[in-house]
Amino acid sequence: MSIGNYQKLALALLLGAELLGLGTSAGATTINRTFCVSSLNKSLSGQSVAFWGFGDCGGRGGMGGSGMMGGGTSPGPVIELGAGDTLNLSLMINMMTPQEAYPYNGHTIHLHGADVPTSEDGVPETNNNAVNGDTYTWSPQTGHEGTYMYHCHVHTVKHLEMGMYGAIVVRPKDASGNLLNRITPDPATAYNYQQIYVLGTVDPAYHTASGDSTVFGDYNPQYFLISGKEGKTASSPAISLAAATSKKVALRLAGLHSTNATFAIKDSAGNLKSFTIYVQDGRALPTPKSVTSVDISPGQRFDVLTTLPATSGTWYPQVTYKRLRDNSPYATVYGKITF
Amino acid sequence: MPWCLAALFGQAEATTQDFTLYISSGTWPINGAGGTIVDIWGYGDRAGSPTVPGPALTVYEGDNVNLTVVNNHSIDHNLVIQGVSTDLSAIPPGGSKTYSFTAPTAGTYLYSDTLNNSVNREMGLYGAFIVRPADGSNRAWTGGPAYTFERTWVVSDMDKSRWNDVAGSGGTIDTAVYKPNYFLINGLGGFDGMMDPATTLDGMVGDTALVRIVNAGQYSQSLHFHANHFEVLTSNGVRWPSPYQQLDTINVPPMTTADVLFHLNQPGHYPMHSHTSQMETANGIYLNGVATMIMIH
Ligand SMILES: [Cu+2]
Ligand SMILES: [Cu+2]
Repeated sequence: MSIGNYQKLALALLLGAELLGLGTSAGATTINRTFCVSSLNKSLSGQSVAFWGFGDCGGRGGMGGSGMMGGGTSPGPVIELGAGDTLNLSLMINMMTPQEAYPYNGHTIHLHGADVPTSEDGVPETNNNAVNGDTYTWSPQTGHEGTYMYHCHVHTVKHLEMGMYGAIVVRPKDASGNLLNRITPDPATAYNYQQIYVLGTVDPAYHTASGDSTVFGDYNPQYFLISGKEGKTASSPAISLAAATSKKVALRLAGLHSTNATFAIKDSAGNLKSFTIYVQDGRALPTPKSVTSVDISPGQRFDVLTTLPATSGTWYPQVTYKRLRDNSPYATVYGKITF
Repeated sequence: MPWCLAALFGQAEATTQDFTLYISSGTWPINGAGGTIVDIWGYGDRAGSPTVPGPALTVYEGDNVNLTVVNNHSIDHNLVIQGVSTDLSAIPPGGSKTYSFTAPTAGTYLYSDTLNNSVNREMGLYGAFIVRPADGSNRAWTGGPAYTFERTWVVSDMDKSRWNDVAGSGGTIDTAVYKPNYFLINGLGGFDGMMDPATTLDGMVGDTALVRIVNAGQYSQSLHFHANHFEVLTSNGVRWPSPYQQLDTINVPPMTTADVLFHLNQPGHYPMHSHTSQMETANGIYLNGVATMIMIH
């Protein structure tokens, strides 16, 4: 929206005092959130790397607390909503916001996979260069359950690579409006646990370069992440889950990396464990597919379900990042499920 | 720019389709910020006029195709249509060859020069071979999904300094090292891919576009559509079952193809772009490379 951005922002901030629970019709909820952008550093393999991350401005208290600075992280906060709900996601830009110089100043939020109209799409080149704050509205329908992503769409080769991204999960709801622990309305997709694996790769040169630089034509990733963390070995996983035996785990895979990648689950003996893909890119597969690995390219999402064994043990869901030319591996990043 | 050599309008029975392509060296512009002039080797429909990609060759299922390739370049070349033709032998400098075959099942195919350890292909020797249904209908195949209009996106990549500059001046390339800095859609590596009428999806709400994606490069292409999901009809010549799976991002590995059906659903202007960061640039300069526009009225 190019008109009334600031009015909309102010309204969103007022409403943001209660981030959840503004029911509009039976079972449907309006979710108002306001993101700020902040600078942060991550220690990756002992090196300090600068990131930009989204965070709720001032946390749940609206303008209070850390106020305008936000507590940005990379990936940013997970946004969960139900099919039929409305998300009003506002972006606040202020003097504390890290930015590039013109013409790549400002930021947007693109709701990746949401199929929203141009005015909500967060693409500056198509939306009057609205990069100084806006509200992005989306109402996913039933049938669109699954994992989506958000990311800045300004000079994406820089801003997305800086870590300005996060996951959005759209869940089915029951008749009274409660979120269901299912991937889709289909009871076969019921789960006991869910975890979100945000795939990410880091070329530190992209984090220090800016503007029209030839650096952005040569991607040499050095660090490989799941949900913002390195997990180079099975004994130091990037992400872990303590679960009970025989339970079902939904893993939501979000491709915010810039390489090829393959996801698999192995047990402690290295055997591949099967899982079922129910949803890809927020759309149910016409026929769910049981596999032992799946390739994830930049921008793709998969919602998969696996059943843990009846006897206790450890599984290692893992992502192997691969070269775009020949699929030769760069590195494997480990997750962990104990049961 | 690719040009269809065949008549675009339908015919009821198989006919003979004769094509002649001329291989030569030349130069190719990458326009706009970050742009340059690259040395290329290409197929052209006129002697001495190589293009990247080569001309799109459009035929109808069952046609008798005679494709003559004239090698006006200084080294061996060939032309192989993936999954269609099987003659890999070289056409020597100054020589020519006619490949004769029956047009296969309707779909999208990649043709390229398979010689010289990918160097000939990287230099620009590739294009799309398109087979339309024999009845001339606007369908992906006989009785298949219908469309209002179609586009072909030949996507590719070039490493100017390590490959094109070296091969263009007669040197020897270290093919183990490939770091492309130009990423092309229909030969356009600059912002002009966003505006090229043969590339953009431009139509009315309710229209349906058949998009034929051909990855002639060496890097995997992960193409993301704004505005709407698309239906995947085929990948690498294999038809997917109906109802078709819907995606918003498709991975097209090197030397493969995909046919997708895009429904123009809501007015507005939307990008379609590679989601792999450096592939949205021309030598690092944004917004170029593999990107175009979806314009819905
Ligand atoms: Cu940004
Ligand atoms: Cu995106």
